[in-house]
Amino acid sequence: MRKAAKRTKRLLRRFWRGLREWCGDAAYETYLRSNASRVSSCRTLTQAEFYVDQLNRRYSRPNRCC
Amino acid sequence: MKRILTTLAWLAVALLGAGALGAIAIHRGEPLNAMWFVIAALCCYLVAFRLYSAFVAAKVLALDDTRATPAERHDDGRDFVPTNKWVLFGHHFAAIAGPGPLVGPTLAAQFGYLPGTLWLIAGAAFGGCVQDFVILFCSIRRDGKSLGQMAREEVSKRGGIIAQLAVLAIVIILLGVIALVVVNALKASPWATFTISMTLPIALLLGVYLRFLRPGKVVEASIIGLTLVLFVVVAGRWVAESPSWSHVFTLGGVSLAIAIIVYGFIASVLPVWLLLAPRDYLIAFIKAGAIFSLAAGILFVRPDVLMPPLTRFIDGTGPVFAGKIFPFCFITIACGAVSGFHSLISSGTTPKMILRESQARFIGYGAMLLESFVGVMAMVAACAMTPGVYFAINSPAGIVGSTPDAVAAMTTSWGYPLSGQTMVDMAHAVGEQTLLNRTGGAPSLAVGMAQIFSSTIGGGRLLGIWYHFAIMFEALFVLTVLDAGTRVGRFMIHEMGGRIWKPLARTNWLPAVLLCSALIVGAWGYFLYQGVIDPLGGINSLWPLFGIANQLLAAVALVVATTILMKMGCLRWIWVTVIPMVALIIITLTSSYQKILSPNPRIGFLSNTKALAAQIASGAIPAAKVTETRRLMFNLRLDAVVTSVLVVMIVLLILEALVQWYGILSRRSEAVLHESPYIATRWAKDFAGAGHGVAVGDAIGDD
Repeated sequence: MRKAAKRTKRLLRRFWRGLREWCGDAAYETYLRSNASRVSSCRTLTQAEFYVDQLNRRYSRPNRCC
Repeated sequence: MKRILTTLAWLAVALLGAGALGAIAIHRGEPLNAMWFVIAALCCYLVAFRLYSAFVAAKVLALDDTRATPAERHDDGRDFVPTNKWVLFGHHFAAIAGPGPLVGPTLAAQFGYLPGTLWLIAGAAFGGCVQDFVILFCSIRRDGKSLGQMAREEVSKRGGIIAQLAVLAIVIILLGVIALVVVNALKASPWATFTISMTLPIALLLGVYLRFLRPGKVVEASIIGLTLVLFVVVAGRWVAESPSWSHVFTLGGVSLAIAIIVYGFIASVLPVWLLLAPRDYLIAFIKAGAIFSLAAGILFVRPDVLMPPLTRFIDGTGPVFAGKIFPFCFITIACGAVSGFHSLISSGTTPKMILRESQARFIGYGAMLLESFVGVMAMVAACAMTPGVYFAINSPAGIVGSTPDAVAAMTTSWGYPLSGQTMVDMAHAVGEQTLLNRTGGAPSLAVGMAQIFSSTIGGGRLLGIWYHFAIMFEALFVLTVLDAGTRVGRFMIHEMGGRIWKPLARTNWLPAVLLCSALIVGAWGYFLYQGVIDPLGGINSLWPLFGIANQLLAAVALVVATTILMKMGCLRWIWVTVIPMVALIIITLTSSYQKILSPNPRIGFLSNTKALAAQIASGAIPAAKVTETRRLMFNLRLDAVVTSVLVVMIVLLILEALVQWYGILSRRSEAVLHESPYIATRWAKDFAGAGHGVAVGDAIGDD
């Protein structure tokens, strides 16, 4: 029973993490984890800066289909 | 032993699929249950994915998991982001699934359920999925380059320009046509118009919330937005029932068209974070929820499919759009089976986020299979309606009349019995003034979805709410494509215009922004206006034009893919892309020829122009309508010119490719591939086995 609860909890955590990544909620965390922010000499963007920068990039190329 | 059991299981799936397909194909008489469609589609998809996509991955593309993908090589946390394959599948599917697979099959249902369903399944398995998968692979091997860049490098410079022009052409036509679908769904519907207009302030509110109050907290904002949207769907009934407010939100076609054109311009000019992105967040969860609910509803209700397998309109005299099954069924279904636009996504964001090459099969091929399944669901929802009701909703007033009795008499005369009172009662039940002459597919799909949803939850009492939920879903879906597409089109014009006059390339210089936005909005807005004033409802002319443009882009993508495979030395398996490419070229050219030169005025643009000119000359058209008719004639000529330009583009690209192929096959020219150099992945060992020790792989939860 406890094993099943543990497994369910793990599955739900995974689902939640996937959902946040899918909708863009975890994008800033991903950016902070990326090589660019760790290694690059450029200043790391704040969450608000990153949010606007990411949207400008996303909506300057085809990102929705017919 | 395990191997034998697995083989037997797959054999059972294949036999079940073949049996269900056979039942759909040869069944006559009593209505067929929708479960047959679900079983046939799912079994065919499983077999296609297990066998055909595996064959393409192993034999044709020889996917190599030891090779570092662009996401690993350039990991910058912005464009190049290593992403879990399930999350990326969701991203890719959300990007490729637009209103096309919902609207196209609904329109194609006028031929009956059989031709559309077969093409949705076979076209996707052997055409659409292959195109998406191969282009995704090609782009991964080229650092995520776009289709245009690959065409320029692998085919020729001219090929690249043609691909770029084709993309711009399809964007313009696509936006005009889908905007027309929204206009026809909202026309004279205060409930739906109120709901959709209210999503604008909701999106602005979310924009401010996400920008200043809680930057990037998309889940929170989506929950707030979703709650508000559901509230305005319900509140729409109060507006529709209030005489004064109902009057404010009851708009005609031209007013709605102007409103949508103004919206497109504003969305293109305003900062992305304020309107465009939050609207996108609004629809993301609604889209996933509505598609999932439709599939679940069909499985739960298991409706009977009342439309016959083939209708009398296979002879080309259909009221929804004119033309025979070949080529118009293929052109009309478009995105649900093969979509050229997908090649832009497969060579855009997705290749920059994929972890390893082998995942291209699951994401490229698999996501398109799911889109095809959405198309089959839409076909079922449309065909579960009484055929008479389907034709009454989707036929223009110019063909069936505009009063319930006239429409009922006409559909009954076609052999699809209907009483005028049925349409009056149905309109009343869904909270609309009328459901007649709602061309474009969206209202009939909404009726089909509402019937399925209300059979699951709420019964007849909630039919109106479900109908307007479905209309809201479709219209939001379309408007998201419209505003995002307008902005992308604006950037294309910046890029092309910058070659003529450099300041035009500056995407943050206000005069350039205003000019480029006006150009792109003016271009698709003209097609929209043309459709709105068309007495045949616009869809008859414009949807085939959109289908031709879309399939042309798919042919362009397959020409590029074939050239790359040839350069890779895959001659033995080249038919994998050549067969769908040839099929699409034949379909595109035949439909273009018929749309331009058919002597039937309902099909051919030019013969329609001649017929109208003859009517003016004979005085059959009242003097007050002569100017309007002359404008219609101009629009028809314009459509003929646009179609001709599309044909010239595909023919030129084929010629460019043929020269290239002749050179390679005759060994007169060297086959130079423009792949990125091989770099071994740091993750190969873990990804080949079952380990999860690598930091990135573990962090993203890759399985």
